[in-house]
Amino acid sequence: MTLFLRLFFFAVLVLLTTVSVQAETSGWVNASHLKAELVSDHQDVRPGQSFKLALHFIPDEYWHTYWQNPGDSGLATSIEWTLPDGVEAGAIQWPAPLAISVPPLVNYGFEGPTILVSELTIPADFSGSQLQIKAKVDWLVCKEICIPADASFELNLPVTQAAIEARDYKKLFEQASQHQPKVTQLQGRYDVQNQKFSAAIQMPEDLKVSAFFVSAPELVDHAAPQQIDWVDGELLLRQQQNTYFSQALPQFDLVLNTAAGPVLLQLQHESAPQVSPATLASFSLLDWLGMLVLAAAGGLILNLMPCVFPVLSLKALSLVNGQNSAQQTKTEALWYSAGVLLSFVALAAVLLLLRAAGQAAGWGFQLQNPFVVGALAYLLFVLGLSLSGVVQLGLGWMNSGQQLTQKQGHKGSFFTGVLAVVVASPCTAPFMGTALGYAATQPALAALAIFAALGLGMALPFLLLAWWPGLAALLPKPGLWMEKLKQWLAYPLYLSAVWLLWVYGRQQGLDALALALVGLVLVGAACWLWGQQQLQQAGKISGLIAVVLLLGAIALLWYPQPAAQQVAQTDHAEVWSEQRLKQLVQDGQPVLVNMTADWCITCLVNERVALDTDSSKAAMALYNLRYLKGDWTNKDPAISAYLRQFQRDGVPLYVLYWPGQPPEVLPQILTPDSLRQALEQLSSKQPLITSQ
Amino acid sequence: MKLKLALSLSALFFASSLFAAPQVGQAAPAFNLTDSKGKSHSLADFAGKTVVLEWTNHDCPFVVKHYSGNMQSLQKQFGTDDVVWLTVISSAPGKQGHVTGAKADELTISRNAMPDAVLFDETGVTGKAYDAKTTPHMYVIDKKGVLQYMGGIDSIASAKVDDIAKATPYFSDALTAVLAGNPANPAVTKPYGCSIKY
Repeated sequence: MTLFLRLFFFAVLVLLTTVSVQAETSGWVNASHLKAELVSDHQDVRPGQSFKLALHFIPDEYWHTYWQNPGDSGLATSIEWTLPDGVEAGAIQWPAPLAISVPPLVNYGFEGPTILVSELTIPADFSGSQLQIKAKVDWLVCKEICIPADASFELNLPVTQAAIEARDYKKLFEQASQHQPKVTQLQGRYDVQNQKFSAAIQMPEDLKVSAFFVSAPELVDHAAPQQIDWVDGELLLRQQQNTYFSQALPQFDLVLNTAAGPVLLQLQHESAPQVSPATLASFSLLDWLGMLVLAAAGGLILNLMPCVFPVLSLKALSLVNGQNSAQQTKTEALWYSAGVLLSFVALAAVLLLLRAAGQAAGWGFQLQNPFVVGALAYLLFVLGLSLSGVVQLGLGWMNSGQQLTQKQGHKGSFFTGVLAVVVASPCTAPFMGTALGYAATQPALAALAIFAALGLGMALPFLLLAWWPGLAALLPKPGLWMEKLKQWLAYPLYLSAVWLLWVYGRQQGLDALALALVGLVLVGAACWLWGQQQLQQAGKISGLIAVVLLLGAIALLWYPQPAAQQVAQTDHAEVWSEQRLKQLVQDGQPVLVNMTADWCITCLVNERVALDTDSSKAAMALYNLRYLKGDWTNKDPAISAYLRQFQRDGVPLYVLYWPGQPPEVLPQILTPDSLRQALEQLSSKQPLITSQ
Repeated sequence: MKLKLALSLSALFFASSLFAAPQVGQAAPAFNLTDSKGKSHSLADFAGKTVVLEWTNHDCPFVVKHYSGNMQSLQKQFGTDDVVWLTVISSAPGKQGHVTGAKADELTISRNAMPDAVLFDETGVTGKAYDAKTTPHMYVIDKKGVLQYMGGIDSIASAKVDDIAKATPYFSDALTAVLAGNPANPAVTKPYGCSIKY
């Protein structure tokens, strides 16, 4: 018999002996690698009272017991109470657990002395003079090996009219409450989808959460990395789902380790809202209000997008330069917001008008015009040059620069807002696809309101900055640093110009790109001449030459021959066409349609992380999936029409056709296994029968 | 809706592991392991037979509980020509529960156990492919090599022999269903026991 088994039987033998002491403690019970006692926080109790009992474990060094969710193996400690009639015991108030790693597994438990508190309630009409408490406790104590044990504890407390606290054990109960997570009022929801657990918790300030513990067993893969983000007032938790997960509980406890210690909250289950294209066409007030909120949130997020950020940084610069009074700042912020809002509404109106006129137009369509793209690249380059100091466009970018924003004050602010929207438009497609798709199917006024909400969300940071005196006070005083900052801010603009030129190159081909780059040099020269003139180092003639150079640069954008329609080809994709799709579907082939565009960042990210990966290619090969890719970088009425079939006005759009099943639209943001999972699901619904 | 949006955003940055968990209804992970007598076995060898995998560690109290008679009677009850019962030891060399071939045979004889073979998975590759976490941990693979059951041997997670009679015998029910050509219900349950000493 091994030492291990001897210890095991020894433990069981010792523990089956009941220890009975007539006091506020049961006395110590010695088991192998652990000693235990049951303690009351009162030596005398009275009817109608609640009091606490603590199960106190002292394991040997490096030995541990388990939390309510023990993790991959192990067993939670359990207490079975035998109590007089009417006396009730509450659940164990667990201390905050530790993650105990036993590669490749992870358990949740406690090392060192552990105190498990339960609350007992005595009914008001309790008549006895003694309160006899019996507790049968089961535990598992482990290091490398595990030793299960059980023991019975007994307490007999006198019942008097005056409850008396047990002073000797006050400290123990204080320790117990120190180790317990603090109960919070935080609201949280969770969901389990695509083999991932995710939760979102409203949390107005970042509590610096370093780890989380779910009390639901077999929910998460305990050893998988935890992803914890605090975004926009919400804490987001993600972890791989447990292989042995079978059912989502309606709610369970969650412990968060924060910088200020552990906290406890409850997570409620949320089943994912099903948004099917068919239901979008009918107007519902509730949906509409939800979409307004979603649109506003999306607008807020837009501020962080690379397409908008450079413009915003300029606007922020003008707000912090401190030369305006608070009232002026507010007025400017209002004008800016009006610019943003009206631009969105105007774009929406154009979109709706075009739709009404039967045009195949979509969101982001203005970037399908290469001339607009090229001109925008020039514009951003000029703005960058002004920040770099080549040309002085005025005291601040806001009050100067190109035609629209050069007016002082209100007009300048208004047109900055307009410009922000123009450059933001390519970013709206991926982030606002749902809201836009929804808006496009709604009555015109409801749709316009959605766009207005989007604009309001985008303008919100500036309104806050203008109206929140505290925020303004936090901003540093103007000084030399502003000049440096201004110069630094040139570089995001240059990068944006590079990106636009790249899009331009994809649209027009390499020759056209080279001409546009020549145009960029001309623009640079023009700006330099202009700057010289401002420094009184050049005559009037320089200004004239600058204008000629600028016109030349713009003329270069009229490259006569747009490149032949080239579609981004990858080795495993075919070019999409309506006929090809029809033919493949008729042949009973599974098909994936990917609608993409070079200016769509989400599309590129999706392709990189989820579609052009070895595992997805393997899945495509396995299911004999045909991959059709439609490129919407340039205007293409056929693709626009196709998008509209799915209530979409922008890319990305991923549609999976499986024989015998309705086409399935995949999410706009793909994870590495989205495709594989969708295929597995479809093939299990309807196995593929090949003719071979 | 905001939850959805926020989660989708974070999905962009979430580096999902490419870890493929075993799934009921999918092909069981292939393996090729050496038994206590030095003979190698692979899952493919057992095509046409129902295969039981039982992860074990003879010193684990939860295994001791079931080897007080329950495991032997299961092995006897299902020990027909149609069922192959493979006991798997994933304890790494030097780790608790690791035994030699001779010791494994001795344990089989002394406990009146009757597995068709005791397989050694010293590298842990097979255990990890099956996401085996505890001892005991049970799997049922049907004649076509499709995984039909994975999880605990029964419903009461304890180390007490008395609980065996009270528990719902998940594994036995699953194997009975699979032999009758039906799906196991439940097909996935919580495994309980000692951690496997990989």
